[in-house]
Amino acid sequence: MPDIWGIAAIFAKLTLYFGVVGSTGLVIILATFPNLVLPLCRRIKAKAVVLAGLSIFAAMFGFMLRGAALTGDADGMTDPEMLGLLWQTPVGDVLVYRIAGMAILIAGMFIPRFGRWVSLAGGTIALWSFAKIGHVPDLQQTGVRLLLLLHLLGIAFWIGILGPLRNLSRLPEHLDDAALLGHRFGQAAAVIVPVLILAGLLMAWLLLGDLRALLSTGYGQTLLIKLVLVGAILILAAANKLRFVPAMQAGDSKAAQHLARSIEIETAVILVVLAATATLTSVQTLPN
Amino acid sequence: MKKLATFALMTVLATSAFAHSPVDHTTPENGATITEVPPEISFNFANDIRLTRVDMLHQDHPSVRLDLRDQTSFDRVFTLPLEGMGKGTYRIEWRGLGSDGHAMQGEFSFTVE
Repeated sequence: MPDIWGIAAIFAKLTLYFGVVGSTGLVIILATFPNLVLPLCRRIKAKAVVLAGLSIFAAMFGFMLRGAALTGDADGMTDPEMLGLLWQTPVGDVLVYRIAGMAILIAGMFIPRFGRWVSLAGGTIALWSFAKIGHVPDLQQTGVRLLLLLHLLGIAFWIGILGPLRNLSRLPEHLDDAALLGHRFGQAAAVIVPVLILAGLLMAWLLLGDLRALLSTGYGQTLLIKLVLVGAILILAAANKLRFVPAMQAGDSKAAQHLARSIEIETAVILVVLAATATLTSVQTLPN
Repeated sequence: MKKLATFALMTVLATSAFAHSPVDHTTPENGATITEVPPEISFNFANDIRLTRVDMLHQDHPSVRLDLRDQTSFDRVFTLPLEGMGKGTYRIEWRGLGSDGHAMQGEFSFTVE
């Protein structure tokens, strides 16, 4: 088990992932399906702002926790020497990317017309920070970093649709819009999800190098848990796409309730997947 | 659902081997039994690191924080003076920062007979 600072770092990172990916995802949905999510526009913007604010807080808290990991006690969180040391390393660089990116995303949400594109740029800057530091960037290949960014944008798109689709499904007067949004997302997902999985598997192979490491190492086992959970999400997503959305298109309002419930379960599993990822990137060492 | 999530989270945490301690070797070696308290201890790391905290724990005494004021740069080899506390088992716990920004920690112990 990691120590208290390791566990706190995992939770700070989980919050950071949820905030950055969630807010960027909402912005992607606003930019991709502006007309379909029009009834929820203000709500989506407000949520994106809250999530981005949360991720700024989590990024700063995570940075301070790294200070505590250096001294082994809470004093390290505010120790100018420790924080100054961290600031000189790539950890300081990514903190700047994350805060600046999320601040741009928030600002964009208050700018009319083109604001969502400003926000999208901000979200991408923050997502790029994850390609600047960690196990994947350690491979030192620009192609792999771009692959990680693509993977993250795909995940953001997926996570971004969950809230609006659920909320729209709960509004009986917008059943048609919810069905169309689900259908359009399903069409996009048919392309994005295979790319997402391929990119994930390729990065896993580059990091592990050997399938046996999947069972024999802590890193491999955590990755395996993540993969099994992703498999469960895919089954739920397939049920949504093949069963509930077509039923909603046929005017079945009960199917909309099922879809909303299915999305809630999907969100809970995604949170555990993000927690597994936070563990992989915070406290696990690569097998080699 | 909550139970499933909690179970999965605990499993994820339980599989964590704590990370990033690429210490190559130490003097005295981990687990060594020696006859006299060494005047100093040393660490050799595989990569550059900045030591941020080193504690010495002896079975009969409260833990002592070793002075790192002279250690102000990233390096691979560190030698620290050690204040002897007689016979018994000494445990050295260390923490540091890798130049890539990774926090690292580890420990080693030796016995003076």
